[in-house]
Amino acid sequence: MSQLNKSSMKINMLISAVLASLLAGLSISSSAFDLQGTLKDAAKKQIEEQLGQSTNSQQATTPDNQSATTPTPADSTAPDSVSSTIATTAETPQATINWKNPSTAEEIALGREITGNLLGAAPLVKNEALQKYVNSVGRWVASQSERPDLPWHFGVIESDDLNAFAAPGGYVMITKGLYKKMSNEAQLAGVLGHEIGHVVAKHQLKVLQKQQLLNLGAGFLNKKIGKDNKIISQAIGSGAEISARSLDKSAEFEADRLGLSYATRSGYEPFGLTDILQLLGQTGKNDNSVALLFKTHPHPDERLATLGNSVGSKLDNIKNGKTLENRFYQLK
Amino acid sequence: MRPLNRLLIAVSLPALLLVNLSMAAETGSALKNDTMRVEPFADAKVTGSFNRGESLEILNKKGAWLQVKTKKNTGWVRLLSIKRGSSGASNQAAGALAVASGRAGTGQVISTTGIRGLSAEDLKAAKFNEAEVKTMESYTQNANQGKQFASAGGLKTVPFANLKAVDGGSK
Repeated sequence: MSQLNKSSMKINMLISAVLASLLAGLSISSSAFDLQGTLKDAAKKQIEEQLGQSTNSQQATTPDNQSATTPTPADSTAPDSVSSTIATTAETPQATINWKNPSTAEEIALGREITGNLLGAAPLVKNEALQKYVNSVGRWVASQSERPDLPWHFGVIESDDLNAFAAPGGYVMITKGLYKKMSNEAQLAGVLGHEIGHVVAKHQLKVLQKQQLLNLGAGFLNKKIGKDNKIISQAIGSGAEISARSLDKSAEFEADRLGLSYATRSGYEPFGLTDILQLLGQTGKNDNSVALLFKTHPHPDERLATLGNSVGSKLDNIKNGKTLENRFYQLK
Repeated sequence: MRPLNRLLIAVSLPALLLVNLSMAAETGSALKNDTMRVEPFADAKVTGSFNRGESLEILNKKGAWLQVKTKKNTGWVRLLSIKRGSSGASNQAAGALAVASGRAGTGQVISTTGIRGLSAEDLKAAKFNEAEVKTMESYTQNANQGKQFASAGGLKTVPFANLKAVDGGSK
């Protein structure tokens, strides 16, 4: 037994070492796989949609204004040397997932799959006016982020829980329960801003990448996967499990900072997000509606204090931010 | 009977007013050690300080500042240094703060038991729903539409650099 444990420990250590080297970008020869079906179609569709919109969106947004403050770590913008060599093995560049450095189309396809699974657990609230309103607010806030050209999608989902979710590529969902706690547009902008921050900083994507590179290092994925080549499903695990997982605390704090920054840049009163953190902090720990949220996030008090440290005096001169409670879509 | 009624009203009226006044004040607690100032400005004179965890009373709100009262002092402090509501209880009335932020009458915190929850198990067991994704994508607004929506609400972009992480954390 102990022999066995020892050897499995060795293997684990080996995997870690391989993973570390992969992540460090020291040696990686082939990190992409043939891909058909879901990804190809979804990516194509998204790209077409995005291209269709891009003539409008590029004129309307001013992404370069904020480029000096881009929060995305260097690795996400690293030169795409791996995919260029790998892509030639497939018919189209979209037919691979380059786990070392996924393309935007790959990122969107992954996010779409996760979103579809999440919507399988909690469907959209059937209220077009509400959904369009939330998309309008979210779109405006996202336009002040470092990734204004993603095809941003927002949705309010049927759940009494207090929670919100982001999936790679620009998918953001908020529960009906959390929406009903809000009383103005600045609060909505702040919460959506937090989720937009996760997407911009690629937090969920990085979790998937790490896991896949780990699998690669262990050689688990080095075989064909039957006729239904469900690379994506395999990557994201079962259902929307990824959405129930915790990110690093530091990722949540970063999303808080970004969310507040985006909402402030958008012209909203800067304390919308912290209003909601205050409300969440007053929700009892034993309240079922925050069970998952509290499990996967630092306590709201800690988030408020950490955000407060970053804010310092920086909001002292921000005046005339709007709360717009008069046009906030009231959901009964 | 009549004089007695009158007397009762006369006696109880001030008491009722007092109750209302005390309800208008909100309790809170300090999220960190901080100093209070005589006015809501960073360079205003310091009136005192409080320690993390100390409970206090929230008297007023002005922009990014709250006027608070500790056992010893009263003064203005940046609002992110304060947790609203008493630390133990879950549902503190929003009180003065709600009035100050223009949302009196709404936004009360009421704990709801999750009639339709979304647990980790629910998420794990979820099955892909293509129709719902399509519906969600159908609501998408493009950047121009977002801009128009913002203009309609009088929203204007404000120059503001992304906040940065500060070493030292919340301790």
